[in-house]
Amino acid sequence: MTDQQLSDLVRRGRARGVGPQVPTPDCLNDDMVAALAEGSLDAAARAEAFPHLASCEWCRAAVASVAIALADPAVAREVRAAEGPARRRFYRWSVPAAAAAAVILLLSWPPATDEPGPTHRAPTITAAPAPSPMSPVGAVAAAPVLRWAAVDGADRYRVTLFDGDGAVLYETELADTVAPVPGMVRLLPGRPYLWKVEARTDFDRWVGSKLVEFSIAGPRR
Amino acid sequence: MEEWAAELQRGRSDAAWDLFVGRYRRLVFAAIRHYAQDYDDVMDVFARVCEALREDDLRRLRAWVEQPTHRARFSTWLVTVVRNLTVDWFRERDGRRRLPAVAEGLAPLRRRIFEHVFLDQRSHVETYESIRAATDPALSFREFLAELRATYLAVMKGRRGHVLRDLGGPPPPENDSDDPGTPDLGDTPKMIDDLLASLGPEDRVAVELYVVDGVPADQVARVLGLGNAKAVYNRVYRALAVLRERLERAGIRREDL
Repeated sequence: MTDQQLSDLVRRGRARGVGPQVPTPDCLNDDMVAALAEGSLDAAARAEAFPHLASCEWCRAAVASVAIALADPAVAREVRAAEGPARRRFYRWSVPAAAAAAVILLLSWPPATDEPGPTHRAPTITAAPAPSPMSPVGAVAAAPVLRWAAVDGADRYRVTLFDGDGAVLYETELADTVAPVPGMVRLLPGRPYLWKVEARTDFDRWVGSKLVEFSIAGPRR
Repeated sequence: MEEWAAELQRGRSDAAWDLFVGRYRRLVFAAIRHYAQDYDDVMDVFARVCEALREDDLRRLRAWVEQPTHRARFSTWLVTVVRNLTVDWFRERDGRRRLPAVAEGLAPLRRRIFEHVFLDQRSHVETYESIRAATDPALSFREFLAELRATYLAVMKGRRGHVLRDLGGPPPPENDSDDPGTPDLGDTPKMIDDLLASLGPEDRVAVELYVVDGVPADQVARVLGLGNAKAVYNRVYRALAVLRERLERAGIRREDL
């Protein structure tokens, strides 16, 4: 029997034997799975983990899956960006540079109107469909993110969160269709909040959604 | 210590969350996109990941920070957590018996195979027996295997290939023509299990990861603490030689299987 034939036999036996994969109390925790996948365990720790790993499909599937993910160039690139020492050097000079850029931006920003408080930008007239807010809408248990449907052709979104009186609590621009609500924004139960999202469909052309109301379920504080 | 961890230790969960998201948002997205390429799925899973990491006052992140020692880098741990949440999300959604788009486009037999293997997570043999008993008594195992391979190809080429592979287990190899009706084939999974269990833990992990799970040799080398891919090949083929010798000693030849 050649190596290839034996390999096929092993795969055949494993594929047919695959049943529901469930963890057991002895299974490795996420830290161990991660350490195995990235190869950061020392010899002693590996020797301790391998007997379980050798016999546990659940843990082996997790290690295999994470190891393959780490080899994905897109994932590896973001790991390097998040962990690399170059990021810290970048941060040291980028903060003052960013501050300078912010000053320049503020000085060149179009003058505010005479209207008091935050202004609502009316969406530019465009034939593109408006973005559709998906959640949160109505009474919800929690609102960790603001989520909306993508608009074809949009490369950027601007999302704005208001309190019940129309004051802007948070605003950001991003390319994705999910915006985490910052920790500093306190959403109190029982109070109404509003939000909307605008999609940039062309240079300086934005199409906006309707204002959507939601509240966090629970007694009003 | 990272800034978000320092804020968490100071009791400033909100500031910690903002710093964490600012630093790791792109990595979280990259990890999700590795498993789920469909845009809507990625966004849904990202929302779920944010919810899970924020719940109970950032309980998971806090547990990491408060752990006295760590075996892995935080970024790898985060990829692991995101992977688990992504797989769980798809299991929950698919467990509600809503077929994903990729399955709805399949022919009826392949759709039934998809439901049994990927949604119900049955073994391939169980799936064959169920389909034969319920709807296709004349279905031969050879025909079933061909349909099974085609189903795997269809779903793994789709936008959720990686996560569906995690849900369904390894696909059947090519040129698999055995019939579960023959006595030897019914014992094959147990025989393979016994054979692999006779190897030492490191050899067994090497064979399982490289041969069964298809993990690239470079990655297997990292898991095993070996220097390079060549060391993995040497280890795996030495282990296979041991298995071959044990099969021959037991009087089992290729023609018997």
